Amino acid sequence: MFDKSVTKKIQPYSHLFQATLLAALVVTIGCQRGEELGPVASATSVAKIRSVFAGEASATGAAEEGSSESAVATATGWATIKGRFVYDGEPPAMQPYNVNKDQATCTDGGKPPLQETLLVDSGNKGIANVAIYIRKVSRVHESAQPSTEKVLFDQKACVFLTHVLPMTIGQTVELKNSDPVGHNTNISGNNSFNQTIPANESVDYTPQKEEAMPVLAVCSIHPWMASYLLPRANGYYAITAPDGSFEIANVPAGEILEVQVWHESGTGPKGALVLNTEAGKEMKWSKKGRFKINLAEDEVKEFELTVPTNAFRG
Amino acid sequence: MNQNTMKQKLNSFYLLACLVAPLVTVGCSSSGPPEFRLDMVKMVSEETPTAQEYQQEIADVLGALFGTPDEPFALPETGLNAIQLQMAAGSAWSDEKGYNHGLYRKHCVHCHGITGDGRGPTARFLNPYPRDYRPGVYKFKSTYNADRPTDEDLHRVLVNGVPGTAMPSFSLLPSSEVESLVEYVKYLSIRGQMETALTNFVFDELGEEEAEDEDGEPLLDGDGEPVLRRIPFNPAEDAEQQEVVADLLAEIVEGWDAASEKIILPEEDQIPAEERSDEEIAASVDKGRELFYGTRANCIKCHGPTALGDGQQDDFDNWSKAHKKFLSDVAESHKGEPTEDSQEFAASRDEVAAMIYPLRNAIPRNLRQGIYRGGRRRLDIFWRISAGIPGTPMPATGSAAPGGKGTISEAEIWNIVDYVLSLPYESPSRPLKALPANTEGIVN
Ligand code: HEC
Ligand code: HEC
Repeated sequence: MFDKSVTKKIQPYSHLFQATLLAALVVTIGCQRGEELGPVASATSVAKIRSVFAGEASATGAAEEGSSESAVATATGWATIKGRFVYDGEPPAMQPYNVNKDQATCTDGGKPPLQETLLVDSGNKGIANVAIYIRKVSRVHESAQPSTEKVLFDQKACVFLTHVLPMTIGQTVELKNSDPVGHNTNISGNNSFNQTIPANESVDYTPQKEEAMPVLAVCSIHPWMASYLLPRANGYYAITAPDGSFEIANVPAGEILEVQVWHESGTGPKGALVLNTEAGKEMKWSKKGRFKINLAEDEVKEFELTVPTNAFRG
Repeated sequence: MNQNTMKQKLNSFYLLACLVAPLVTVGCSSSGPPEFRLDMVKMVSEETPTAQEYQQEIADVLGALFGTPDEPFALPETGLNAIQLQMAAGSAWSDEKGYNHGLYRKHCVHCHGITGDGRGPTARFLNPYPRDYRPGVYKFKSTYNADRPTDEDLHRVLVNGVPGTAMPSFSLLPSSEVESLVEYVKYLSIRGQMETALTNFVFDELGEEEAEDEDGEPLLDGDGEPVLRRIPFNPAEDAEQQEVVADLLAEIVEGWDAASEKIILPEEDQIPAEERSDEEIAASVDKGRELFYGTRANCIKCHGPTALGDGQQDDFDNWSKAHKKFLSDVAESHKGEPTEDSQEFAASRDEVAAMIYPLRNAIPRNLRQGIYRGGRRRLDIFWRISAGIPGTPMPATGSAAPGGKGTISEAEIWNIVDYVLSLPYESPSRPLKALPANTEGIVN
């Protein structure tokens, strides 16, 4: 390739080449740029914060006063929120799942089941499977206390029959397999779990910690299977029905309640459903999919929430 | 070789040395001593988008609670042994008594990274990748699937290494050094778990709120719009936040403390006898075999009809899943119209995405090789099958918690242990047709 004289000319420098190569190697391998991203702790802040945790000082600023907490101590009575989520567009067509395992069980004569990432009623345009729940409350009505009743989470034809399942912590979920093939249920989040569910049998699962947002439950054997669980400290939650309706009864009246709204395909963080419409703005609906309400005793607050198509992914 | 070329050689040797030396010494240290870094995937993810001011505050709180790679710190309530942490941390040197310091940087950092994120300089080239300690999830341990490992579990991994992977055995180190390293691994895990907890707290509870004046009336700007105020994350100035941080730490430490009560202890009367006749063993292997390929234990689904690991191969482990989600969100965001939010993080998202190692599927083990990463004792295999392999698709078949009920009985798990241990010696062509259970299952 090279003409001889060129090779000769290069030769004296070959060590230089080696050196450069070596240097380049050291630079690229030794000092990965990626590791340098993000901040490092500042010594002065660290000293201040550490003295507080090491018990040498106490946090200066007192806990917030005059917030809703002190106001609620005296409030009594209960109220109800209810309403409907309506899709502002043509109901999207759901694509079939990519069923590449156990065709005999998991397809209907070769026809794979349809996805459920955004279910909109073709008639009244109600949006199903929106989770709506109260973030924090100062008191809980009898009817919303943690339940001990067993809830069913069934799977058939390689689809989880409940797409979004809420429960109170400590409540046992029966993970059922109604298929002739084996599944496993792999749940992420604070109550992580991954267990084989034999054909036509059940396994119990009891989440003990609350989640701020629904967490995924999948089957590693049939990776298209995906569903969501929402363990909460109390029963102040609802999942919208196929017509988009929901109701949360007996929420505490006379205090500021922060409502969280979630949908699997919501564009906000962790699936938060963000209502960036005029109505949403009026309700001060946040980018985290939350809004605040303060209800009077026995009030029944009704919402008709029209959600634009761009609030959903895909 | 004549004098001239010799001289030339020497010259260029000096040149080489002069060129490389400063690069080695300065190249990396130009940025000062090694520092713990935040998990930038989490910081800029769509799940917990964390503004730069909050990133700094989280780094500060972590610095207060855990110190630096050169000067580790642990609050007494963590139960971590400060002396052991000192031995493991910092740069490598030996004191006059001959004690070795800086053990982690000497033995582990080039694979597991300064922060324990599994991103040391050699990590990218390994398969499997070195463990990222930060979620506190370990694969080869004696406890139930969701529980932390015991000190003994980590000790065992360090002494045995992880056969079939790059993770070497450190059996030649004195046991006091191994103990210091175990303590340091736990320290990095607790720090990492705390980072996640703080990030979630900041996302869930802090952010912007509408500012109020002294009378509690909303402050309005010129256009009559409410003035927004960022709620700082500073536990030194906010007693409520201080309490939250202490509670989050306590919960994480409690998980580690509880590990010794979460050991899976096989029932004595189910453990197969030491001395078994060949017939007894063969009968147990046959039972195990039937279970392995059947629809109750389901092993065939992933490990495949020949146990070569060729069943379900599409899934990912938990460490990769987080990256996969991030990468697909980034790709998605390039498609749609940029929103205000996506733009705030867009540049850093691309930068962070570029540093993620290539994604790899979680491939079920080829069980005919007879290499057991978590140890080859019967008890090791029992633990793997009973608890599954945390962080990976491999599910548990035993109970999920003390006192619970397993999917299959312990006697059955021991049968499968027998079968698994016999697999490397079984002819792969041994016909499976004899088993009714797998006739449908295999048709993938
Ligand atoms: C040559 C690279 C390399 C070095 C050096 C190394 N490791 Fe590892 N380590 C690995 C890899 C790769 C894995 C992942 C194995 C797997 O996932 O099966 C691992 C896994 C681990 C695990 C997790 C085991 C489990 O049960 O999940 C621990 C703990 C660990 N290493 C600790 C250490 C410590 C401490 C040191 C230093 C004394 C060290 N490693 C040095 C490559 C390395
Ligand atoms: C959902 C898929 C899946 C199922 C079902 C499954 N495995 Fe696994 N198995 C895996 C994966 C993935 C790994 C590799 C995990 C790793 O080390 O990262 C694995 C690893 C193993 C190992 C290797 C342990 C070691 O120390 O190296 C054994 C043994 C094993 N599996 C046995 C079984 C048995 C027995 C069953 C049935 C009771 C079973 N597996 C069911 C996915 C599965």
